[in-house]
Amino acid sequence: MTWGRTVPWLAVPVRWYLAALFVGASLHKIVEPYAFAVDVATYDILPLWAVNLTAVVLPWLELTAGLMLLAGWRVRTASLLVAGMVAVFLVALLIALGRGLDMSCGCFASQGAEDHPISWLTALRDLTWLALAGFVLAADRGMAGADWLLSKRGRA
Amino acid sequence: MAGATLRRNLLEALVIAAATTLVAVSVNALRPSGLPLVAHTPYQTLVPCPEPGGPAVAIGPDDPALASSRSFLIDARTGDEYRARHLARAVSVPFDWLDPIPEGTLEELARAIAASRATRVVVYGDGGRPDSGEHLGREISGRGIKNVCFVRGGAPTVLDGAEGGPP
Repeated sequence: MTWGRTVPWLAVPVRWYLAALFVGASLHKIVEPYAFAVDVATYDILPLWAVNLTAVVLPWLELTAGLMLLAGWRVRTASLLVAGMVAVFLVALLIALGRGLDMSCGCFASQGAEDHPISWLTALRDLTWLALAGFVLAADRGMAGADWLLSKRGRA
Repeated sequence: MAGATLRRNLLEALVIAAATTLVAVSVNALRPSGLPLVAHTPYQTLVPCPEPGGPAVAIGPDDPALASSRSFLIDARTGDEYRARHLARAVSVPFDWLDPIPEGTLEELARAIAASRATRVVVYGDGGRPDSGEHLGREISGRGIKNVCFVRGGAPTVLDGAEGGPP
């Protein structure tokens, strides 16, 4: 197997990792929309009218992108969505860090500012996720997923 | 070719985002715990202010640093408490819970520390909760004084046998 054929397969576990991450991160936000709205408001970036709408829509977008990655359906589109969301999270995080806010990032459930305060490590983590999403976007060919199965069936 | 693919992927992403928004808003409207789409009152977000001040190491009342000639001792209690009783060589810098140390006082203190050739600054306060010594230590540390310690328990634990009266 050549390197060119190996890389798309290497992207598969990365895709699954991002999928698990996004599905996992979305669930508590969908179940507890008010708590997530407070997290969004804590960043103090969005105007008040946009806080609830963001808190309602964003978790579902995370879930959708996560499930698409997991299923291997429209992988590039899903990785674009993931990359876009991580980029937005990263900008929000950098603004919060720049303001010196002592808060949790609100990314996952049960995180408090005391136990999981945001830091430059959080920004580095987001940068890593952004790089992984870029890798999936560039390298993944939908192997071991719906796109792959559909294209095989089409060729058969 | 790659540009066309990317444009197609972006378009798909927009369509999926729009469809997801529709689903999210619909589910939110149907569920009892759904949020109003536009908040009318600001959220009460509790973000503690960044703790002012710098690091100050806690030491015990028996720590040799208290007796060392290389330590610059600061008494953070009120002037009256200091005059009544204080450790030998300790200088009085009463900690004010409301106002920071004036810049002039801090500069004088820094000059005195430099002149003493001390290698560390040891602060003791009233030993209360919160302790004025700890807070003064953190404040001066945050404003540029290096190597600051504070005595855990404050004056009540260190003043046995200390001298009284004005220095």
